[in-house]
Amino acid sequence: MIWETVRLSLRSIRRNVLRSFLTLLGIVIGVAAVIAMLTIGSGTTAKVKADISKLGSNLLVVRSGRPAGPGGPGGLDQVVRPLAEKDLAALVAHLSGARAISPASQKQVRVIFGTESLTSGVTGTDSAYLDARDWKLVSGRPFSDSETRSGTGVCLIGETVRQQFFGAGDPESEIIRVNRTSCKIIGLLEPKGYTGFGQDQDNVVLMPLHAYQRRIAGNRDIDNIYIAADDRTPTSELQPRVEDILRDARRITPDRESDFAIRDMTQIADAMASATTTMTGMLGAVAGVSLLVGGIGIMNIMLVSVTERTREIGIRLAIGAHEKHILIQFLVEATVLSLLGGIIGILIGLALAGLAAVTLTIPFAPSPAVILLAVGFSALIGMVFGFFPALRGARLDPIDALRHE
Amino acid sequence: MAAGATLITFDKVWKSYGQGEAKVHALAGVDLAIRRGEFVAIMGPSGSGKSTAMNIIGCLDTPTAGTYSFMGIDAGRLDRNRRAMLRNLYVGFVFQGYNLLARTTAAENVELPLIYRGVAARERRDLAMQALAEVGLVGREHHTPAELSGGQQQRVAIARAIVTRPTLLVADEPTGNLDTARTHEIMELLTRLNTELGLTIAMVTHEADVADYAERTIRFLDGHVASDSRKLEIAQP
Repeated sequence: MIWETVRLSLRSIRRNVLRSFLTLLGIVIGVAAVIAMLTIGSGTTAKVKADISKLGSNLLVVRSGRPAGPGGPGGLDQVVRPLAEKDLAALVAHLSGARAISPASQKQVRVIFGTESLTSGVTGTDSAYLDARDWKLVSGRPFSDSETRSGTGVCLIGETVRQQFFGAGDPESEIIRVNRTSCKIIGLLEPKGYTGFGQDQDNVVLMPLHAYQRRIAGNRDIDNIYIAADDRTPTSELQPRVEDILRDARRITPDRESDFAIRDMTQIADAMASATTTMTGMLGAVAGVSLLVGGIGIMNIMLVSVTERTREIGIRLAIGAHEKHILIQFLVEATVLSLLGGIIGILIGLALAGLAAVTLTIPFAPSPAVILLAVGFSALIGMVFGFFPALRGARLDPIDALRHE
Repeated sequence: MAAGATLITFDKVWKSYGQGEAKVHALAGVDLAIRRGEFVAIMGPSGSGKSTAMNIIGCLDTPTAGTYSFMGIDAGRLDRNRRAMLRNLYVGFVFQGYNLLARTTAAENVELPLIYRGVAARERRDLAMQALAEVGLVGREHHTPAELSGGQQQRVAIARAIVTRPTLLVADEPTGNLDTARTHEIMELLTRLNTELGLTIAMVTHEADVADYAERTIRFLDGHVASDSRKLEIAQP
């Protein structure tokens, strides 16, 4: 009986291909939008997480200025005391649970080679920086300890800088000018690509901290200290230790606030990911509204269908159909209709998400749970919005229905 | 029940519409009995109550007052679904406008009442073919109504009505849309079903020559039975 009814409804959908298609459109668009949103959203979340882990996993970043909070970092009431080499030395000497500790000061500086020039992020640091940031060299070697100490004019360059100046050529041992100082290239950094915020991570020049301080910054400050936790130590455990050591090194009495901030990149990654998830959910909900509109479309067309087929209903009732037979017939028809729309919508949504994944270079992450939910939901819409028209058909008086022209 | 036993009884049946001053009595205390195997023509001008009577006979409608009994069942007091069951089991319908489902083949149209009876697909198909053969439509099983002439469509409708082997066939102006030759054919078919299968037929018509095929003619006027006459048996030569 049910199979019979499904067949019947498929036939009546086929009879009115154009109308059925237009009816479906609402559901198709709604489901496609929801599926595309959620799939792209989960891809973006994965991408954001991956991006932030590119900065280095289990990474703490210390910078001067008060922790972010009311009044903002480094408020006017307080002169910001920069981080200094003794702070770094204290961490290196006393901090346990760290895999790498590295200073970094940076600035956007004009870099010149021959007649070419490029504004690049120049960072003064030491040899531990590569380890702290999980960054490898494609070729060449990192700074030696003596180069770091003496501030020799050597540098490591990123892929963007290489392409700008050397094209396909080998940059090693070439001399580039950074600001007004010259600097010999000793290695090439592995490409990292863009961050989720469109920042080119490969447009960089790394040089020994002392060389940077003397020749570019003109001071002895350290902007950031990067601390990578070892595998056994979670960053949340490392953070208070860093704080204690630095407060001690900077002689901050217990009654005063710290004049430096420690950022936990893992936390930031989680926060970013949860922000994208929230955003995805919101967009999904907006798309869900269009499903409601689609449902109303189904109701509308089912009402038309019931009116159009009043005579048919009359015939069926006259030859012995019960109310429930008519009810089921139209309910099944509405459900099949919206289910069909749902399936088409899922396919289109996945196609859109796939396209977006390629163009936005995010992972394509379709979720079986979301797809199943969409199938169930579109069937539910058919049942809910098909019920009233179906009931109207089932309640018709056979005599009136047979007289209907 | 033996042939000749009473099938249908109207006992002071009233059917009224409207309220108060505007109240109209389509049937005003009709008494009537039809036996099994009878072929009855019901005539009368429009508004005479003949259609209302037919609807009650076919268990589509219920009286406002009085008793309608069908096969000894008080059918006038049954609910919608029970009357639907009664129609499905014992009543076949033939309408003036054929009332076939469009874009549905003849065989599928004939199968329809069997679907609501829960008959399996294969058996349904066999019974439909048999019914179509009985009305002389072999070879047209897969034609849709649009591909059939009026006479053929009415044959499909008759096949649909008899496929369930009903006790009663209710025909509402079955030849109203047909020309003389086709009318004759359809009436011959109905007469044959009446005599060969013992099918009781109640037929509304306003054409005297159509009514002539029936052995009994009941005339309605203003909600009453005006006359009830039997054809005189003509001696066979």
